[in-house]
Amino acid sequence: MLGSLYRLSKLVQQFVGLMGSKVIRSIFGGVRLWAFLRGCHKNGGRQAQPPAQLFHLSVLLTQFQEMEYVSPEGLRLDGRRPMEMRQIRAEIGVVAKADGSALFEMGNTKVIAAVYGPREVQNRSQQLNDSALVRCEYTMANFSTGDRMRKPKGDRRSTEISLVIRQTMEACIMTHLMPRSQIDIFVQVLQADGGTRSACINAASLALADAGIPMRDLVTSCSAGYLNSTPLLDLNYIEDSAGGADVTLGIMPKLDKVTLLQMDAKLSVETFENVMQLAIEGCKAVATYIREVLLENTKQLEYRRGI
Amino acid sequence: MVGLSIGEKHFIQGGIAQDLRSDGRKRLTTRPIYVETGVISQANGSARVRMGATDVIASVKAELGRPNALQPDKGKVVVNVDCSPTAAPMFEGRGGEELSAELSVALQCCLLGGKSGSGAGIDLSSLVVVEGKICWDLYIDGLVVSSDGNLLDALGAAIKAALSNTGIPKVNVAAGASGDEQPEVDVSDEEFLQFDTSRVPVIVTLTKVGRHYIVDATSEEESQMSSAVSISINRQGHICGLTKRGGAGLDPSIILDMISVAKTVSEQLINTLDSHIAAAEAGEEES
Amino acid sequence: MAGKGGATPSTYSPSPTTQKTKSLSFGNDEVLRPDDREWHQCRPAFFQIGVVAAAAGSAYADFGSTKVIVSVFGPRESKKAMMYSDIGRLNCNVSYTNFATPVRGQAYDLGSDHKEFSSMLHKALEGATILETFPKTTVDVFALVLESGGSDLPVVISCASLALADAGIMMYDLVTSVSVSCLGKNLVLDPTLEEESYQDGSLILTCMPSRDEVTQLTITGEWSTPKINEGMKICTDACSKFSQIMKSCLKGLDSALEEEDSNVD
Repeated sequence: MLGSLYRLSKLVQQFVGLMGSKVIRSIFGGVRLWAFLRGCHKNGGRQAQPPAQLFHLSVLLTQFQEMEYVSPEGLRLDGRRPMEMRQIRAEIGVVAKADGSALFEMGNTKVIAAVYGPREVQNRSQQLNDSALVRCEYTMANFSTGDRMRKPKGDRRSTEISLVIRQTMEACIMTHLMPRSQIDIFVQVLQADGGTRSACINAASLALADAGIPMRDLVTSCSAGYLNSTPLLDLNYIEDSAGGADVTLGIMPKLDKVTLLQMDAKLSVETFENVMQLAIEGCKAVATYIREVLLENTKQLEYRRGI
Repeated sequence: MVGLSIGEKHFIQGGIAQDLRSDGRKRLTTRPIYVETGVISQANGSARVRMGATDVIASVKAELGRPNALQPDKGKVVVNVDCSPTAAPMFEGRGGEELSAELSVALQCCLLGGKSGSGAGIDLSSLVVVEGKICWDLYIDGLVVSSDGNLLDALGAAIKAALSNTGIPKVNVAAGASGDEQPEVDVSDEEFLQFDTSRVPVIVTLTKVGRHYIVDATSEEESQMSSAVSISINRQGHICGLTKRGGAGLDPSIILDMISVAKTVSEQLINTLDSHIAAAEAGEEES
Repeated sequence: MAGKGGATPSTYSPSPTTQKTKSLSFGNDEVLRPDDREWHQCRPAFFQIGVVAAAAGSAYADFGSTKVIVSVFGPRESKKAMMYSDIGRLNCNVSYTNFATPVRGQAYDLGSDHKEFSSMLHKALEGATILETFPKTTVDVFALVLESGGSDLPVVISCASLALADAGIMMYDLVTSVSVSCLGKNLVLDPTLEEESYQDGSLILTCMPSRDEVTQLTITGEWSTPKINEGMKICTDACSKFSQIMKSCLKGLDSALEEEDSNVD
């Protein structure tokens, strides 16, 4: 029994090696899978393995190709429930020189957004006479990913995300109030662990609010996916790269309108509805938190002005 | 970059001449410095340093690689700086590249010493695992998040802090590999070796405005500079690198004078930085 | 080229002349440098102006095996995209030929145009050029390193200032530049490529000798203050000697062959 357990755990370690041990280990600090395997390894001596975990292990080993993203107990790789979001944290005013700025964290994903403007249009040929010009640039720090990035600036992915963020934010900014002016949104990813798109939109939303730019509503965003026949909220990097469907949704919670909807892979209409409903719930949760942060910030400003 | 009226320019220059700068500092006083370590969990070591409105992040990543054939007993260190557009709209797209390249070169010059590797702040031979076969490649990445002058000093401090925070995994080399074979290694994920940072220099930039020079200039003050000399000095008081910016020429004797001023400033800076780093490390362990 | 010496090869024989064979034992005072120079002696320097007919001004310099050609174009109208400026702009570019290095195209690892050197050249020249005399316009300085034989940047800088003078661009003074390498205890003036690869530290000083002003100073490696003093002294002395040669070259005196044996001691 002892020997076979040891062999099992060795096999698992090899399997993890196959998956790219670096990715798994470095992407999230407290990976449940890893801890679980380690625990197994250590407990092996004491023969204190609950049968459920043994079962889990054997499933893992027989299905090298299909990874288990939701354990039979209904827990995900990082220990969350399927409907659970990662911890979110936001901070306003992190870049002193910008007109508005915010830091937004979703688990290990960490982004900074800075807003400059509204100001004079830099490039006259782009000037719009009836509305403000909104520009956006998305950049990833080269230490943001598990393996160091060597990609040059402005690759296709960044350009695409820049465009997505710009369009999403444009929808909520009241551009008609600021004709012939320009608003720049710069988002910088410090750490990427899935859901950077959503995190960037949330950060940009906060930064715009901090800059005092008139908006119809806050835009909040959250992603949801579908793996192991379970809808999952707020995918992390491993779940995101598993190849299942990934729905990124952006909504204006007060107006109850969708401004962004992206999905890859395929889903049946019924499942899609479920997943989208889950993402909406996620967005609303983010919105509640963002409101709190903004309110707190306003209170502080109020206090400083002595009102 | 910084739009200032003539009145404002005179105000800054006049203040410096009278040893009272716009933010109330004296010429040789630095802004308070804030150090936070371990901000990037995926890196082997990282730190965020803030000086006033200047905010930079440095991260250190170690990867196993092969040493250069010409220097089999040395690891490799690459310093790279990026200017995020969040710091200033002018860094958008390729706009920040010029400044990034300049900062990278200056930092490389200050940290890595001469071509033979002597006088380097980072001991390259300590990075070797198996001579001629395996070594650690250290990738030091700096990111300017917010910029209000004195970027080089802030980056230098952040890199020093990040290196103090760096744990390099212990590597066990499987015995038996001989000849030209690449030996098998087992990277431990529990045991880490602390990096020796006592030799890593700090950088002090003296910015010359009018007839005087100041330390830790803000971007408004930098816009009025005639030239700036960045000097990297280690704990022993040795110069580890020097670069000059700005067009105007300087008398050789002034440069020597600047070096001696920088030395005294650097002593304070090293001490404050070390205590801040220690405090940040202690704080990180608690939480 | 000490390694080559001796019999002249009549047929093609690929013999790696430098590198590998010698492990130099510097620090021993009796050992002379590979090219039999004294520690504080420069390589023979040669300057010539007006070598590129199409350019507004041009200069060629060779210091031993380091050969550089610089051409200056302009002043021309600044690009429309650039903002109005009441002073002129310098646009500097340093590039290496494919055959500049011992291994073909080695310099291309750094990119065909050497960004680092380009910005250093710009910094060295901008302080000496009277930019106010050509507002709204740009002067292009293109430097091409034909053969890299050590101390490339200082040679490029000196040569560029000569080319600027040839183009009639107003300057406060000629800019001359020299580097010293620290090899063990010794300071070596005007190091060759071989010496540079062994150096513990280097100091590049760029100055305007008549005004006694330093426009650019770069130090790498660990230096003590007395050593910096000494290094700067050696460099400024050498710079003033070079400026004499460059001036006579501009005046057309003996511009055909100007050999230099500047023994600073």
